[in-house]
Amino acid sequence: MTLTVVGGDGDFQAVEYPEVTESPRFTCALGGAYGAALATFGAVPILHSGAGCGMANAHGMTYAAGLNSGGACGTTTTPCSGLIEEHVVFGGEDKLRRLIKSTLELMKGELFVVISGCVPALIGDDVDSVVAEFKDQAPVIHVKSSGFVGNAYLGYDLYLDAVIDGLLEPPRAVEKRLVNIFGIVPNQNVFWKGELKVLKSLLEKIGAKVNTVFSDFGSLGNLKRIPEAQLNILFNPNSGLSACRKLKERFETPFLNFGRVPVGPKETAEFLRLAGKALKIPQKKIEGVIFEEERDVYRHMEYLAEMFMVSMPHASAAFIGDARTVVSLLRYGVNELGWIPSLAIITDDPPPETRDEIARLLTEDLEVALKPRVLFEYDSHRVRLALREEPLQVILGSSLEKYIAQKESEAHHLSVSFPVYDRLVVDRSYAGFRGGINLLEDMSQNFGGPL
Amino acid sequence: MSENNENPAGADRINLEAPTSPTREQRANGITAFNGKASELAAKARKGELKNCERDFQQNAGCLLNFYLTVRVATIRDSSMVIHAPVGCSAPAALYREVFRRLFTAMNKPQDFDFHWLTTNIGEKDVIYGAADKLRFALEESHRRYSPEAIFILTSCASGIIGEDVEGVVSEVKDRIPAVIVPIHCEGIRSRVIQTGYDAFWHGILKYLVKKPEKKQKDLVNVASMLSYTWQDRQEITRLLKKIGLRPNFVPEFASVRDFQTLSEAALTAPVCPTYTDYLSRGLEQEYGVPYFLYPSPIGIANTDEWLRNIGRILHKEGEVEKVIKEERAVWVPRMDAVRRSFDEIKKRNGGKYHVMGSLGQGRLVTQTPFFHELGVTTPVALCQDFDDLLLDEVEELLKRVGDFDIVVNTFQAAEVAHTARRYDPDMVLSCPFQGSAYKREKGMTRIHALRGDGRKWSAQAGYSGAVACGNFLLQATKNRSFQNIMLKKTDDPYKEWFYRQDDPYYFHKKEAEGGV
Repeated sequence: MTLTVVGGDGDFQAVEYPEVTESPRFTCALGGAYGAALATFGAVPILHSGAGCGMANAHGMTYAAGLNSGGACGTTTTPCSGLIEEHVVFGGEDKLRRLIKSTLELMKGELFVVISGCVPALIGDDVDSVVAEFKDQAPVIHVKSSGFVGNAYLGYDLYLDAVIDGLLEPPRAVEKRLVNIFGIVPNQNVFWKGELKVLKSLLEKIGAKVNTVFSDFGSLGNLKRIPEAQLNILFNPNSGLSACRKLKERFETPFLNFGRVPVGPKETAEFLRLAGKALKIPQKKIEGVIFEEERDVYRHMEYLAEMFMVSMPHASAAFIGDARTVVSLLRYGVNELGWIPSLAIITDDPPPETRDEIARLLTEDLEVALKPRVLFEYDSHRVRLALREEPLQVILGSSLEKYIAQKESEAHHLSVSFPVYDRLVVDRSYAGFRGGINLLEDMSQNFGGPL
Repeated sequence: MSENNENPAGADRINLEAPTSPTREQRANGITAFNGKASELAAKARKGELKNCERDFQQNAGCLLNFYLTVRVATIRDSSMVIHAPVGCSAPAALYREVFRRLFTAMNKPQDFDFHWLTTNIGEKDVIYGAADKLRFALEESHRRYSPEAIFILTSCASGIIGEDVEGVVSEVKDRIPAVIVPIHCEGIRSRVIQTGYDAFWHGILKYLVKKPEKKQKDLVNVASMLSYTWQDRQEITRLLKKIGLRPNFVPEFASVRDFQTLSEAALTAPVCPTYTDYLSRGLEQEYGVPYFLYPSPIGIANTDEWLRNIGRILHKEGEVEKVIKEERAVWVPRMDAVRRSFDEIKKRNGGKYHVMGSLGQGRLVTQTPFFHELGVTTPVALCQDFDDLLLDEVEELLKRVGDFDIVVNTFQAAEVAHTARRYDPDMVLSCPFQGSAYKREKGMTRIHALRGDGRKWSAQAGYSGAVACGNFLLQATKNRSFQNIMLKKTDDPYKEWFYRQDDPYYFHKKEAEGGV
């Protein structure tokens, strides 16, 4: 017997508890902080939580981010206090103290990040005091990120907040043309490793020095160097914004908010011009880089253009994912590939004050009169109902849409946003000049033959 | 009629009046830490002296909810699942729409399944004011959206600590919702032993879902299996049962609600993993007189013979079973012999031995070890996820058959596993999936099993064809070590070297747990 989904005509009446949802597209704040700590290569996360929080986030976060294991300290390697009933009764502080002590003795690490979950918060463990006992033994910080305080995007912000408060000192001097990258959320942005690499190399081409903060070797040094930057660049309308504001307040570092990762030559050129201006890099140098890169990309586009004009020309497209990813891909699809933007579904539950800006990025400066319908929705059932209302040829979303795209929409589908359980993503990305070509390569793998 | 239920702890009557099962610690003296001889472990268990220990250094291991009820309950057809928890607890179930579709309908995968689950997404306000309203809404919304036959409620640490009255909410809404509502108490904090989660699940099934039999089905055999047995294993079990005129009733993955309701009508409950099936098997016998046996699982040639013979004995099909065993042996034993001869060749070049170290669940410990002996490889040490009294007879029996061996009990403790692998230096380490850096080795290493969504014949383990496939898989693993070698050489080990020089992998493991039995 098969269940059918009821209310196929768009069942969008207000509900009592909108947060009660079918398969939302994010894990919890603990997951976000844990993912950020794992992404700080050389840092050791220490979970102060139930025994399953790390495993749940291995299978529900790192594996959901393109089938990744979380790297050197991920899955079963991560220390975890594994709290049970007796700790609920007697407190978990002693258990945590023993765990930190033994972790410092046993594990290689430059930085130790205690991430506390629901249980210690609910039983009132004084985690800060326990962590403070180790301050002179090793760099140890605490991220208070109970799963119930919010989603993984918030967890990323909480991690950065703990880094700023726990590790950063005013710089001796600001390093000219050094920039930090923010807003690429490890795991929740499934292409995070590749995006950081591409953005770094782009900025280096125009003469900047780049601290990717995450993913590169030298975790502790990278974090400590954050205040030395001349500029912080934010690639997200929401995540990382609080960190950029705090860094401006504390170290007077200005920030440039591009609001998305540039995909394809048009967006990338626009980004480089803005970055060049902010870093006072001569315009001639910027234009030179843009000219060379563009020429190369469009030349290569000629190889795929004929196949593209057969497979998905002027396609009516739906974009489903976190705001940053949807903005990036919609702008590329509409402004460079000639797609019709039907639907943009934002799944990261951004705070209300950022939603107008997100809607603006999705509807302004588009090469088409038609504006997409913009929905802020993370309930997979409601996303499915919304997709049924539009005739679609392209669905760029998560792997949750994979079979729905084929069966209910007959659309071309590719998993590009969290969760991605159907493809391995290591350092692939769609960022930068060449990113669009990568996207079309990935989209076309099941569309073979000229006839 | 049941076998193997002399054990005092396990033989306690299941109390279906209670909201949930006891923990494995309460029910069967379950432990998650031991390092020593298997004979010593068995003797201590026999005397009731097993004690749980608190680790100083501990690593991610999974909990009652997330090993992996979320993923498994989500596959039950015409039902829906409500996770009463903060949003992260249900994250692993986000693969519900696509992962199992890789399987082919040609391989008897149910067609057109469409699973649904909701999280109550417990937030900051809820932990102060309670989340009963959200749970009630989630149950009603489940009905409005999906009209399921059953709704499973899975609880969490947070819902447990804030004292949610789940049964209260259920009794409030159950007249308004036609679905059978099945609360499962899998709060992660309940127990160190993740198998408690399975008992809690079966308790919910027995208490709320299984119906009184309308009619007994003489050819129906209940088979409950772990996620670590692949789709091919289901196929092989189906094939063997069919040959003796029987049909499997597989639960829980891909079962329909009706399949659960009719568990009581079956002629027998047969094991694939004994300690996983234990609670269900006992409950079905106690409530509905369905006979069962717990040992052995159909892993390896001899175990599969014995598994079939147990079925034959209980269902009076001895003659048919012997005929099937004869036919099957004629096909598969020569192939198994070929595998063993290949291992004999390897042993000749390897000082006359081939040592295998397997990471095993408790159930696999008693079934896989004899299978290794069938292959002609030896197991100087076994790693076991947890240990309790339920299989004590079988462990004692195993000791008689294969002699004493070392045993390390730990639930996914990667550092202890790495230490044990270094200390014993076996020719081959067979690791659970997701076992940290265990793949980085000089000598052999491969996975001990694949998972349910793997439909390849290559990954089979159960029955006769599975024994041969698994033997060949191991043989293949001996041929090329470049991946594990290069990763060992080129990447860093997460642990400091001094740890490996300690004799005891339980260096950080000192005191008895407070209040732990």
